[in-house]
Amino acid sequence: MNTVMSSKRHYVDPAPFDPGATEPVGAESESFYRASSWRLMWWKFRRHKVAVAAAFILLVFYLIVPFVEVIAPYNQTKRNGDFIYAPPQAIHLMHEGRFVGPFVYPYRQSFNLERFQRVYTVDRASPEPIRFFCRGDAYNFWGLVAANVHLVCPPVNGTMFVLGTDRLGRDLLSRIIYGARISLTIGVVGIAVSFTLGLFFGGLAGYLGGWVDHVIQRMIEILRSLPELPLWLALSAALPPNWSPILVFFGITIILGLLDWPGLARAVRSKLLSLREEDFVKAAELMGASKQRIIARHLIPNFMSHLIASATLSIPSMILGETALSFLGLGLRPPVTSWGVLLNEAQNLAAVQLHPWLLFPIVPVIIVVLAFNFMGDGLRDAADPYH
Amino acid sequence: MIRFLLRRLVTMVVTLLIISALVFFIIKLPPGDFLTNQIAELRAQGESASIAKAEFLIKQYGLDRPAWEQYLVWIGLMPGPNGFSGLLQGDWGWSFEFDKPVVEVVGDALWLTLLVNLAVVIFIHIVSIPIAIYSATRQYSVGDYIATFIGYIGLATPSFLLALILLYYMNRWFGVSIGGLYDAQYAGEPWTWDKIKSLLSHLIVPTLVIGLAGTAAMIRRMRANLLDELGKQYYVTAKAKGLGPNRALLKYPFRMSLNPFIADIGNLLPHLISGSVLVSLVLSLPTVGPILLSALKSQDQFLAGFILMFVAVLTVIGMLISDLLLAMLDPRIRLGGGR
Amino acid sequence: MFTSIRTTLHLAAAFGLLTFPAFAQTYVEPPFFAEKVAKKELPPVAERIPQTPIVVNPAGGQYGGDVVTLVSRARDIRYISTWAYTRLVGYDRSLQLQPDLLEKIDNEDDRIFTFTLRAGHRWSDGAPFTTEDFRYYWEDVAQNPDLSPAGPPEFMMVDGNLPRFEMLDERTMRYTWDKPNPRFLPQLAGPLDPGIYRASAYLKRFHAKYADKAALEEQAKKNKLKNWAALHNRLDDMKEQTNPDLPTLMPWRITNTAPATRFVFERNPYYHRVDHKGQQLPYVDRMIMDVSAGGLFAAKANAGEIDLLFRGLMMSDVPILKEGEKAKGYRTLLWPYARGTELALYPNLNTTDPVWRKLNRDLRFRKALSLGIDRKTLNNALLFGLGTEGNNTVVAESPLFAPELRTLNAAYNPDEASRLLDEIGLTERNGAGIRLLPDGRELEIIVETDGESTLVVDGLTLISEFWREIGVRLFVKPQDRTVLRNRSFAGLTVMVAAQGFDNAIPTAIMPPTEFAPMRQDNYAWPKWGQYVETKGKNGEAVDIPEAKRLLELYSTWMNTGNRTVQADVWREMLRNHAENQWVIGTVAGALQPIVMRNGLLGLPEKALYSFEPTAMIGIYRPDEIYWNKAAGKEARR
Repeated sequence: MNTVMSSKRHYVDPAPFDPGATEPVGAESESFYRASSWRLMWWKFRRHKVAVAAAFILLVFYLIVPFVEVIAPYNQTKRNGDFIYAPPQAIHLMHEGRFVGPFVYPYRQSFNLERFQRVYTVDRASPEPIRFFCRGDAYNFWGLVAANVHLVCPPVNGTMFVLGTDRLGRDLLSRIIYGARISLTIGVVGIAVSFTLGLFFGGLAGYLGGWVDHVIQRMIEILRSLPELPLWLALSAALPPNWSPILVFFGITIILGLLDWPGLARAVRSKLLSLREEDFVKAAELMGASKQRIIARHLIPNFMSHLIASATLSIPSMILGETALSFLGLGLRPPVTSWGVLLNEAQNLAAVQLHPWLLFPIVPVIIVVLAFNFMGDGLRDAADPYH
Repeated sequence: MIRFLLRRLVTMVVTLLIISALVFFIIKLPPGDFLTNQIAELRAQGESASIAKAEFLIKQYGLDRPAWEQYLVWIGLMPGPNGFSGLLQGDWGWSFEFDKPVVEVVGDALWLTLLVNLAVVIFIHIVSIPIAIYSATRQYSVGDYIATFIGYIGLATPSFLLALILLYYMNRWFGVSIGGLYDAQYAGEPWTWDKIKSLLSHLIVPTLVIGLAGTAAMIRRMRANLLDELGKQYYVTAKAKGLGPNRALLKYPFRMSLNPFIADIGNLLPHLISGSVLVSLVLSLPTVGPILLSALKSQDQFLAGFILMFVAVLTVIGMLISDLLLAMLDPRIRLGGGR
Repeated sequence: MFTSIRTTLHLAAAFGLLTFPAFAQTYVEPPFFAEKVAKKELPPVAERIPQTPIVVNPAGGQYGGDVVTLVSRARDIRYISTWAYTRLVGYDRSLQLQPDLLEKIDNEDDRIFTFTLRAGHRWSDGAPFTTEDFRYYWEDVAQNPDLSPAGPPEFMMVDGNLPRFEMLDERTMRYTWDKPNPRFLPQLAGPLDPGIYRASAYLKRFHAKYADKAALEEQAKKNKLKNWAALHNRLDDMKEQTNPDLPTLMPWRITNTAPATRFVFERNPYYHRVDHKGQQLPYVDRMIMDVSAGGLFAAKANAGEIDLLFRGLMMSDVPILKEGEKAKGYRTLLWPYARGTELALYPNLNTTDPVWRKLNRDLRFRKALSLGIDRKTLNNALLFGLGTEGNNTVVAESPLFAPELRTLNAAYNPDEASRLLDEIGLTERNGAGIRLLPDGRELEIIVETDGESTLVVDGLTLISEFWREIGVRLFVKPQDRTVLRNRSFAGLTVMVAAQGFDNAIPTAIMPPTEFAPMRQDNYAWPKWGQYVETKGKNGEAVDIPEAKRLLELYSTWMNTGNRTVQADVWREMLRNHAENQWVIGTVAGALQPIVMRNGLLGLPEKALYSFEPTAMIGIYRPDEIYWNKAAGKEARR
């Protein structure tokens, strides 16, 4: 057990004690002391390599969201009747020893009546290069502008199913990219709902104190002790069946956010309680600032960083919650595409056995959830100056 | 200690009361109810016998009364057509879809739900404590990274998919039959050693899946707590006084770091139980999860309400137990009367 | 017009069924009962079988074994009353009516039916099965206002008149109507047994007329039931299989009740069928049903956990079923599903929205929608290309089939479809190319479906693309089934997507109820159906002449006993449907997988499967299924 906390090893240093060596002095410390809390937070965050990497990954994901139509090689609904349950096509660079550029080998479908399966035979003789910045399926960019420019397109008269196709012959990669738009947005919108509620209730409780605090605390405790999924189930079942997909989408996000705000509210409340007694608040009160101003201008900015960290750590549970609800058929349903809906369609064991590529939507879910967790950890570490 | 216990019990009762109101409100949200829907359909078919029965049931269970009255009758605070007969009196209601009392429909499923959740809690303790200790003491080693990594993956993977995949491979490699908590041939048979073995082998997948996410969170928490404690002075003193490293670890920092650990179990319970509902749906275990889903879909209100209350009660009691454990463990809490 | 035909249905030797008096046969005691017989708890087999049992001559048959199958909910065990197919009179494999429980049927003009029971036939508890059981039902149950407030079942009434029931002796009875009732026998042979008899010895104990009413009321209250009638009705369920004490005539009887995850049916010691070797059917001792989530059926079959499974498996499960065959030792039979069509579109002719109402009623609109569907692509995508494209109509195996029934108005002709839509006046289109309704809205058809069949939902996705080309937008709206039915009954749906006709192999003697506006659960004409079902109190009267013709034809069929007239009626009704596209059909001929463990024999390799009239595997006689022990497959206990 000699390797216990090498960073916290205790020893007696024979060298004479130099006070200046333990405190940073000079230009570096100058900027250190003058930096705003946000900058300090950023510097601390930057040191946490994994969190930075996670943040970068998330940035990439969210940047994709406005441009899904351009990035996805196929349209969301584009179907290929001749390529149902087609396995993934690998992208190669070298053909028979020569560098040809990114291409795919075409394959054709034949039907095995014995085993009732579609068999795909790959033709390794004729590479088909994929195109970049090309014209492909038509779409409505953001539902407004008709266009057909894609980042990547399948070869002319060919196919490029990087992750295979589903039971209607739709490209899985494109659907995952389109699904990112919904799944990632739900997380953010849900957090917005719970953030607002948490801030509101936590702020009330923390600042006003007294019976308001008491009531809200009880509310928080009760809500936190409820198991979420059964309540989500019940609330989703309560959504009227004749709502349009957009309304259902917002309904689901609100439901997800409704059960999440207690955690945030508690954090807000405890921070407010501790900060309320600080001198600067007293000073502001003496100077005649109104309650709203004190809360908004002095208190909240002080713990915003903590809130953001907490919020970030809640987003994964929302994404997983939406996935679970859609999986059970109570959340979003086709034709809306989200990662949860895609996983619902891959629900039965036939998928695992015969077409394992249908399970691929689980990968972006895991990546995004992990990324949020790491980034949230990093933010939390950075936000807390005493760690 | 007694005062602490009493105070917590009172809070618990109040909490449960409020939860029951909330549950009832949610159940009543969808318009209509099972019987009214059924009547509409039966009336159109001219099946007057069943209509008469349905109308009788409506009267019997007071579904024609305003919602708040229905709630009080359901709880047992207000007399219904048969006198006081609600949850408090042990009458759990009538399931319209199955046409029998709720207690007969859920019956065994309750015990099995309890069993599964208990197994998960035990699993989490057994697994996360040693791993966390190992992780904290061998920080930044390969083992540490692997453990953390697995923990994170468990956190991020949707449990239902994991359940399906594991189910498939358990069947492929170990011959464990698909779905259910024991092999079909033991249904309705007394508890023999074989049946118990079958039960255990089927419990593996649900426990693993539900517990994985909880284990990951626990490991992280425990590891962080332990690391905190390991840097403190008293540990150094203990080692300086000659205590062996293992004993020193287990006697002092470990016990201190158990505090937040126990507290966190309480916090984790809602997630655990909700996770178990989801996984039991996917694996079609005979627990309350699948029954709840179908009850919600068909607006069978008493059944759905009862199951939701049951799950809530389970959670609240679990949290109470964890609070009690914490109080026993940490005198500061006991004497301070709560957090 | 009606020629007096005296039809006597005997068990024809041509079908290999013979009647032997008991003394000419020695019977073999099923080993399952050997112990009980030895202990004198059961009489020996020779005394349990009726004097004139049905003797069948199957290709093989051995006693013994259990068969394990699956149900998705406990309630679904009731389907055994469908596929065990124990009826007074039933269809055989060539869809001819044959007496089953009855020994003899004398049918005069479809008007006077004389039934003869088998001597010595007993219920599963040993009580004799006599005409008293029929009388009890008819007088004390069907016409008792407490037990049957709605009165006797509809199919027993002709023009609102009940028949005259006479008990001629303890084995013979007669039903007499003034006018022909051609529905009577086919209804008795249907997938849902109407049950015009009861286990009177058992049930009389719960009838106020024969037992102490006060005591019964007491018992009813204890069971949370309103009165003795509710108690009687609860115990008297021949179909639901919830009362193990209720005697039955089926090959197996239920032995335990819900809640349970395993339901066990044991063989009926008094079953009336034997084989030519003297063995009493069924061969299989126990039928075991395990409750499991529907989504896991294919997985469990693939893992080799079941012996027999058909209900709950679909064509899309076939690849995974085939995959496990060798490793787990079972085989998958693929029977063509005889249904009108797998995906049918029902334009609601009674919809409340006036614009849609007018469109749905316009034949050109329906024709255009039908011509705008590329059925070949649907076939390839949904049925591996193995289906039959065309209208919602009968299958080729039916004697009433004609090729143009399938092809009329069912080709893929988008140009003609567009032309018809233009002719209606829907010429204006918006920027996206979708036509506009006269009031300016988009021609967007909201097709509602109960979402339970992925085939239907996928098919709709494809159809939406086909229709886009002719300027019609399709919006799919999954609904809960109850909600969907209620909306349809209220006239709120514009179009519904579901499966097509249930009975796709009709013969002339089967009532053409589905094809006339008689029932409200047909999504194309719910309100017309309501009108007929409630005798004018609810709904709307039929007002389209072609649809009225269907009602007229139905009443012609109802009022005749002449087979030729009935066949002509059928043909005209079928043609009417093809011409008028009341229901738009797409592809038919899905395959129903039936999983059977190796060594379990008795079902044909390939046969038509349907709910009506084959009662799933009913007409193929599941009581003749047996374990071939020589194949080395011992049944599980």
